[in-house]
Amino acid sequence: MKTLIQFLIYLLIAVVVIVLGIILGDAASWYFAWLVGTVMIVLISAAGGALLDTQEEEKNKAG
Amino acid sequence: MINDTVVELSRWQFAATALYHFLFVPLTLGLSFMLAAMETVYVTTGKKIYRDMTMFWGKLFLINFALGVATGLTMEFEFGTNWSFYSSFVGDIFGAPLAIEGLMAFFMESTFVGLMAFGWQRLSKGQHLIVTYLVALGSNLSALWILVANGFMQDPQGASFNPVTMRMELTNFAALIFSHDAQAKFVHTSIAGYVTAAIFVAGISAWYMLRGKHIELAKRSFRMAALFGVLATAGVITLGDALGFVGGNAQPSKLAAMEAMWQTEPAPAPFNVAAWPSQSEQRNTWALQIPYVLTPLLTHTLTKEVPGIQEIEAQAAQRIKNGIPAVEALKVLSSDPTNAQALAQFKAHEKDLGYGFLVKRYAANQDVSLATDADIAKAAKDTIPEVAAIFWTFRIMVALGLIMLAYFILAVIYTLRNNVQNQRWFLKIAPWMIPVPFLACETGWLVAELGRQPWTVYEMLPTWMSASSHSVGYMVFSLTGFVLLYSVFIAVEMYLMVKFIRQGPDEHPHAPAQPQTGSGGAYAPAGVMMKREEN
Repeated sequence: MKTLIQFLIYLLIAVVVIVLGIILGDAASWYFAWLVGTVMIVLISAAGGALLDTQEEEKNKAG
Repeated sequence: MINDTVVELSRWQFAATALYHFLFVPLTLGLSFMLAAMETVYVTTGKKIYRDMTMFWGKLFLINFALGVATGLTMEFEFGTNWSFYSSFVGDIFGAPLAIEGLMAFFMESTFVGLMAFGWQRLSKGQHLIVTYLVALGSNLSALWILVANGFMQDPQGASFNPVTMRMELTNFAALIFSHDAQAKFVHTSIAGYVTAAIFVAGISAWYMLRGKHIELAKRSFRMAALFGVLATAGVITLGDALGFVGGNAQPSKLAAMEAMWQTEPAPAPFNVAAWPSQSEQRNTWALQIPYVLTPLLTHTLTKEVPGIQEIEAQAAQRIKNGIPAVEALKVLSSDPTNAQALAQFKAHEKDLGYGFLVKRYAANQDVSLATDADIAKAAKDTIPEVAAIFWTFRIMVALGLIMLAYFILAVIYTLRNNVQNQRWFLKIAPWMIPVPFLACETGWLVAELGRQPWTVYEMLPTWMSASSHSVGYMVFSLTGFVLLYSVFIAVEMYLMVKFIRQGPDEHPHAPAQPQTGSGGAYAPAGVMMKREEN
């Protein structure tokens, strides 16, 4: 059930983003690019932190 | 007529306060989203070190935020005190985004920044994360509305001049906020803030690693800053190109000044890598050129001509002649608003009204009907901004941007290999990189604002008409006061930042001492194992 709710939430976010993209596409393409770009930068940066933890754990296991 | 010295001093005062304020803004814009990224990892992985990171960098964020607010407040009042004609002329349009900035974005970030600082023990992890994101969003929305207002000054969209009320009125709010200049300026400025924050975090983290202090926190902060920074720097360079393209279409004189391009040359024109422009002789005394590069760089085509300064000046002289009847008609309408003939004359020449205002400065008794060809030529020359200053500040900004890109590429390579702590030469450079994005932001602002001259509202309202009629003594006194006060603010910021950076993170805030175990080997500062928070 929890997985289904998560799936529906992510689906809703995806729909909202697509609709925003269509609405803002012509008039506000730069604002939309900022929104998408910022989310991407934040998430990739966060993923980098998590990746470092994995690298460290593997290093500790090996060493 | 307003004293020219007063106008110059008003410009210096606004430039000084804006440049001081802009030392705080970029860090706030970027660090808020970096905190959000750090806290996202904390909430998703439950690892306490990311909470420590968020709290430590959050402390530095709060210092910067508080001083940024203090330095920003005065500028909104300066529009009224030093630029009263400007405020009256475009207040209906300019006031709207500034009011929205105060009521929506500033209130939002100020409210949530309190929750972010004091809510660690009172909010759940998820709630606190949402608050941090709202602070970041609020900070950037604040910048958005300011840049919408600035975008209007650069490319006035969504407004028209009403000859009856004698001021500009808002006709289309959507056109104002969705103007290409406002959009491109916002994304470029906001992302430049991300770069600033990334270099700040990476520089301090490198300093910790060099000294063997707070290693685990520093390594993670450096990793996140490097990835954040490399993407943001690539973005800011791309968006800078876009802003040049958009701005070049709206303000050809700024673009020509940025490239020190005096004559219109057949496409594809050469690019001046370096040059020494002479404003009086209207030529470059020397120039280092790359053939064929300028046209594709500026127009994104190989065939479109880029107008040179001399051509722009000739067009301006023609527009001044066309704008004179509009100003004459306004004079009639000011005493007889129903005069149909004057209204028709105004409508026929409305688009060149601002150019008509330009020559008023030189015409005898400020009566444009008495303007001579020599007056028109002087006014036309005024339409060209300071070429050498713009050319070189623009190049400094671009060079700094490229240096930062190279720095972040190396940072990403080293950190992804997980051996950045062994690259001591790189760690030594990193703290010295901290001033670079601040300098790039300041030069970027100078290019944008010097390039807009001689207008406060491009092609609508000349700067010389916009200022208040203060005395020179008053302006010198207030300028000196602001410079001293703001210098104190900078000194306070530096003192607090250095103090808290030296003090370092509190690695166990609000928590009882954790027993040391081997289970949290993922972060083992200097042989000390920190226990992974159980959640």
